[in-house]
Amino acid sequence: MKKVEAIIKPFKLDDVKEALNEIGIQGMTISEVKGYGRQKGHKEIYRGAEYVVDFIPKIKIEIIVQSERVKEVMDTIQKAAYTGKIGDGKIFILPMEEVIRVRTGEKGEDAI
Amino acid sequence: MMLTNAKKIKFVPAAEQLREKSAHLISDFLKRKTPDFIIEHAQILDDYFFESFENSMIGPKMGMEKNPYAIIALGGYGRREQFIHSDVDLLFLFEKYVPDEASDLIQEVVYPLWDIGLEVGYATRSLKECVKLAGKDLEVLTSVLDARLICGMSYLYSALMEQLRNKIARKRSRKIIKKIIENSRLRHEVFGDSAFLLEPNLKEGQGGLRDYHTMLWITKLNSNLRQFRDFEYYGFLSHDEFQSLKKALHFIGSVRNCLHHLSDRKCDQLYFEYQIKMAHALKFETANGQQPVERFLSKLHGHMEFLKQQHLMLIYELGLSKNLKSRGKIARPNGVAGLEITENGMLNFVSSENILDDPSLLMKIFEESAALNIPLSAEAKRLIREFSYLVDEEFSSSAKQIESFERILVKPISTFNVLNEMLNTGFLIRFIPDFKDINNRIQYDEYHLYPVDRHLLRTIQYIKDFGTSGGKSKHPLCNDLYKGLKKRSLLLWAALLHDIGKGKTGVSHSVSGAKIAGELLQKKGYGAEDIETVSFLIKEHLLLVKTATRRDLNDEETAVSCARKIKDVDQLKMLYLLTVADCMATGPKAWSDWTAALLRDLFFKISKILEKGELASREAIEAIEKKKAEVLGLAMPRYAKDAIETLFGFMSPRYLLYMPSASIMEHIELYKNSGADAFVWNVAKTFDSNTRTVTICAKDRPGLFSKIAGTFTLNGLDILDAQIFTWRNNIAVDIFEVTPPADQIFEEERWQKAKMQLQEALSGDLDLKKALKEKISVYRPEKRPVNGRPHQINVDNESSSFFTIVEVFTYDFPGLLFMITDAIFRCGLDIWVAKIATKVDQVVDVFYVRDFDGQKVDLPDQEIMIKNTVEEILPGFSS
Repeated sequence: MKKVEAIIKPFKLDDVKEALNEIGIQGMTISEVKGYGRQKGHKEIYRGAEYVVDFIPKIKIEIIVQSERVKEVMDTIQKAAYTGKIGDGKIFILPMEEVIRVRTGEKGEDAI
Repeated sequence: MMLTNAKKIKFVPAAEQLREKSAHLISDFLKRKTPDFIIEHAQILDDYFFESFENSMIGPKMGMEKNPYAIIALGGYGRREQFIHSDVDLLFLFEKYVPDEASDLIQEVVYPLWDIGLEVGYATRSLKECVKLAGKDLEVLTSVLDARLICGMSYLYSALMEQLRNKIARKRSRKIIKKIIENSRLRHEVFGDSAFLLEPNLKEGQGGLRDYHTMLWITKLNSNLRQFRDFEYYGFLSHDEFQSLKKALHFIGSVRNCLHHLSDRKCDQLYFEYQIKMAHALKFETANGQQPVERFLSKLHGHMEFLKQQHLMLIYELGLSKNLKSRGKIARPNGVAGLEITENGMLNFVSSENILDDPSLLMKIFEESAALNIPLSAEAKRLIREFSYLVDEEFSSSAKQIESFERILVKPISTFNVLNEMLNTGFLIRFIPDFKDINNRIQYDEYHLYPVDRHLLRTIQYIKDFGTSGGKSKHPLCNDLYKGLKKRSLLLWAALLHDIGKGKTGVSHSVSGAKIAGELLQKKGYGAEDIETVSFLIKEHLLLVKTATRRDLNDEETAVSCARKIKDVDQLKMLYLLTVADCMATGPKAWSDWTAALLRDLFFKISKILEKGELASREAIEAIEKKKAEVLGLAMPRYAKDAIETLFGFMSPRYLLYMPSASIMEHIELYKNSGADAFVWNVAKTFDSNTRTVTICAKDRPGLFSKIAGTFTLNGLDILDAQIFTWRNNIAVDIFEVTPPADQIFEEERWQKAKMQLQEALSGDLDLKKALKEKISVYRPEKRPVNGRPHQINVDNESSSFFTIVEVFTYDFPGLLFMITDAIFRCGLDIWVAKIATKVDQVVDVFYVRDFDGQKVDLPDQEIMIKNTVEEILPGFSS
């Protein structure tokens, strides 16, 4: 099992969610996060006052998938989140040791 | 051992009987046959205790004569409010001392109840102990305040109550009441305002049943109130209020009981999972476009709000609220005839007759309350409610009343929110009848925390808070914008009415709301322009937040399309303030730092476009629409409408605005013919002047522009003017105005050669720079201008949110454009728009650039680097 973490542009969330639904991904966790990478922040000047936008709002998606589906999920997210411009985001793949469903106590891939 | 067995045989049936009765009672309750469930439930418990007292084996042994005792119900059981899973609180009260046999008595009476699963809490105390404890421990005191004799020696009970009165209530009631009030304040802090919460706590929250208990305790201590009815008899409540309170308590009680049943435990928090089931259990039905659960919650919130108000009012009227002292000092005379300030510092009418003579007092009292920062007395609110029928159409559309209302609307919020009082007393609904449809209207989701009417008032409050000093430190931008507004009242009207359309079903609430507001303000005599502004704000009140969260903010088109809708900076400011306040007033799920950052970014971008004006003005929008129609007219027979419209989507407003329709058509043709080629071009002779126009359609890539410019120079074609546009499907459309080739007889061949060279330059087979160097060395400018202005290079990051603008003022020489654009390319920048103008020999070149990632370049280092790189290639700077 792997954990797929993707940081994407907020307005792309629906596209990514739909694309993942289409390939049968049933669950995900999303959070509103802020940060920056190469798309550094910028500053806006309004009537002389500077407003620094240092951390840029993004959406983080977390999904746990069977190892053999990782590539498919990764490709799907990449395609759906793509705009070709800076700040499209990143996808991280992490090893996942164990998953337990709280209600039933099922473990491993059964619990995904 | 024998004894225990005997007891079991004897007493188990009593408990068993209780269980059966209780089950029966619950099933009746679910069939809605027992309206007074809690009283009957307490009664069957009483029955059980009677019976165990009668048949007690231990009782006779304890020497009742020497040391009499009584079984007393405390707390909720004492008040006869026994919910399905309520605790049973008992006091075994002994006259002189607690005998050793007491524990056997407990075993006999209480254990069977535990066995059938009841939660029983008991205390065994002597009279003296009990009074002492009640004096020390507030919780003991309040539970004893609700005490009720079940069985045993009744004079013991009377003695207990009398001692409480004499030893505690008389001497220290004020101090204790203060403590009780403080405790409820803390309780409200922990459990929140139930009248608004999504998952209200029916007991502990503000507006929950505990508020009512607190009212009881306070009046019991303060005025020796004995039972619920006394609220009316003692004059704390009017008859109507008493009836409403009774209804409210009954409804909240039924909900709590039903919740105990559904959750099968002592649960007082109305969690989401139970709400829909509850609405069905209580037989709510769909009506007026609202789901049963929404109607159920509306009703519940309404009742809880009422209870909350009564609780607050009681505390206030008794003069017990926190800042009583400071209030006592207010002795300001009020100048309005017919109004007076009561002894405890509240506004009231002098007499109800005055209202009949002069209905405008109904508005004046609110205005005074706002102006003097004094609350309305309970009596005044009562009178307003009763006389609100006087607020008719004539009243509501009289200019004088509207002026008053507007003053209240704009007035900064004081401690007492006058608009809330207007809503609570029913005045607002009379004054703005459209409010009726949204009164207490709940939207069943996790997002909308407040009923629509409360939400509207909260929105107003947030907007006004922006103007305060607190607003300045928390929301500096909003503070700045609010202070700069020309007509705040329009924004506040829009805030007051922005969700008014939610009372209607069918169309989107923004659209219907704009219409309702428009009609309303017309009735109230507002001018067309003001009405238009308010309607606009209401219609578009979701535009900014939707765009900020659902569109790509890095795309200029996003901001431009908003700017076109919003049209002017003042409207943008109002819309932004309304949006922020609306989100904040909706609840924490709708407003966070995260949303705030997106929204603010969008605001800046739109504001810049509006301030520069060229792409978003009314004229520009009309011109663009006209142009699109013309192009369609030209294209229609040969191309499908859809295909052309898709292409329009790729074209920037700038392009659509400045390019003649015939040229756009020409570019579309070029694009359609380009196929797999890296570029296609079209050379046209101009009729009146001896120049050539070269239109190039190419797949965009960094450095494209400099390569084209370089190729022209290499072929001796001087560039007089250049415009570049980038379509959003990554197609560059570049238009060059150039001098014709020197040898015009073999012009065609020259163009062919140039085309080949450009292909080679793009593929990397031709080193343009080297070739040009050789060429330029042949004709270096002979004379340098002597008294001209020096070169100037500006890097401007302020005018546009999307591009860095590089302006170069210099003197023309062959190859200049190539050199500059090549320098820009070497800085790692992509040219998106270029304006090249040559006047005699003075050149002004303006480039809109971004880095290859599509970002502005705004670090000071980068700005200096761009300047230096461009300066290096200009004559006079080069070595």
